[in-house]
Amino acid sequence: MKSTVITTNGLRKVYRGRAAVEQLDLNIGQGEIYGFLGPNGAGKTTTIRMLLGLIQPTSGDIQIFGKELRKHKLQILRRVGSLVESPSYYGHLSAADNLEAIRRILDVPKARIAEVLDIVSLTGEEKRPVKGFSLGMKQRLGIAAALLGSPELLILDEPTNGLDPSGIQEIRSLIKRLPAEYGITVLVSSHLLSEIEQMADTVGIIRQGTMIYQDTIAHLQEQAAGELRLTVSEPEAALKLSSLSGCGGSLQESRIVLPRMSDARVALLVRELVENGHAVYRVEEHRQSLEQFFLQVIEGGIS
Amino acid sequence: MMWRALSADWLKIRGKGLWFLVFLGPLGLTAMQGLNFGLRYDYLKEQYQADLWGGLLSNVAGFVPIALYLGGTLVCSLIANVEHQMSSWKQLLALPVSRTAVYMAKLLLCLLLLVCSCLLLSAGTLALGLLLGFGIQAIPYADILRLGFASYAGALPIIALQLWLSVSSRNQTFPVAAGITLSLLSLFSMYLSEWMPLNWPVLAWEAESPWLFIASGLLLGLLMILPGAVHFARKDVD
Ligand SMILES: Nc1ncnc2c1ncn2[C@@H]1O[C@H](COP(=O)(O)OP(=O)(O)OP(=O)(O)O)[C@@H](O)[C@H]1O
Ligand SMILES: [Mg+2]
Repeated sequence: MKSTVITTNGLRKVYRGRAAVEQLDLNIGQGEIYGFLGPNGAGKTTTIRMLLGLIQPTSGDIQIFGKELRKHKLQILRRVGSLVESPSYYGHLSAADNLEAIRRILDVPKARIAEVLDIVSLTGEEKRPVKGFSLGMKQRLGIAAALLGSPELLILDEPTNGLDPSGIQEIRSLIKRLPAEYGITVLVSSHLLSEIEQMADTVGIIRQGTMIYQDTIAHLQEQAAGELRLTVSEPEAALKLSSLSGCGGSLQESRIVLPRMSDARVALLVRELVENGHAVYRVEEHRQSLEQFFLQVIEGGIS
Repeated sequence: MMWRALSADWLKIRGKGLWFLVFLGPLGLTAMQGLNFGLRYDYLKEQYQADLWGGLLSNVAGFVPIALYLGGTLVCSLIANVEHQMSSWKQLLALPVSRTAVYMAKLLLCLLLLVCSCLLLSAGTLALGLLLGFGIQAIPYADILRLGFASYAGALPIIALQLWLSVSSRNQTFPVAAGITLSLLSLFSMYLSEWMPLNWPVLAWEAESPWLFIASGLLLGLLMILPGAVHFARKDVD
């Protein structure tokens, strides 16, 4: 059993009589990438702020590295790197000076600045004032700042928010490298299932302040089964084939839509179609969007 | 820990107009008196002939309290705004540094900058006096030094209050408006009680027992740090 890095118990935060986070029990294991997923306003940032000691929980407790956050805050924060919501930076300073300002507080060697700039590939841009940076560069600078203290736990709140596809890809691969290369545990939040799916090992889904799902990604993928879409030359005739209609297929916009099935079963179906003289143009798997999945989670009562 | 925070702050205020402000205040006051004495040289020289240096100092001193209030307000606001501007509080306070250390570092930075202003004011006044030919023998060194610092001590309660206000609110309109209002009120509050802290910068310079007001300023200033620091240590950071 891996040791746990973050444990919360009945965490709760009330803003003006409304609970932003309610009865939250997080469990994050050593060395994993934990995807913290939820729609806008679900309470992701609120939870992360509590984990960093930026706001006081209304009730409940937080343990990080096996220690009570309230009592050992500075000791814990020394081992944590973070990026909360929109990037924080000093626009009039260069990237190197931004990191230097943080370095002076962390008291790490100066050489660390060049190292983290290299990790986020900002080397060569460090002399420019940060206010002239693109959003993606600012976001990467934020990650560099989070890495500066060589943290064991990295907490990133929507690190890919507002980035273009290549920027998202870049940050995603950077995050995926961290546990393997540096042994860092990562908590990363997002409102996109597709994004979490591509990097996380474990996922926690939060909705209206409450955790509605917490398990491995593999388990999630099984449960959030999508559908299979077939585009064939004569869909109506194809649907009449016994095996196709047998697995509950239906016709939508002249495509055959089937529930998700095993690889072997798909191969069998395709073979049968081809043997019966149909031309198969496309076999696509269609995943549900997060919203659809949420509806299913709530209505279907998956937990 | 506070020193590390202060050294970071020292770097952050670079290019933020703070140093400009620190120089502008005292040099502005000296230049104003340069003009005053330059234009009315003969008249003023006759008026103050018993104590030329004293005349110069009392003319400068008239503007020191309001300059301290306005300058303190702006310095506090600019320092706090360095963190407010790109919501850096959350990044700063998620670092392994106590909130008290962060708050005290900001306060110390603000106080140090104003110390620079007071020193510059003394230096500027000394230079002006010499330039006007008031003579080397009669230089009242102690009074020249006291010129800025006495009122500074008296202004500490308001400066501590301004830092608290500026750090607490993201929008700097209210803290700055409050600071300017207090500065203007201080011009009229002389007619009220001596125990109005607003009057202490003036009294710390010209009262019969200035030490009373200097000490009161220091004491109340220290006391004013407390609620600010406690509030800062407890508040939720967005
Ligand atoms: N300082 C605050 N005062 C009052 N309500 C707040 C405050 N901060 C957050 N909330 C409320 O708490 C709820 C959760 O907000 P939070 O920012 O944690 O959501 P989120 O999951 O991070 O959303 P997003 O994906 O938009 O970033 C929201 O309904 C929000 O309005
Ligand atoms: Mg958020």
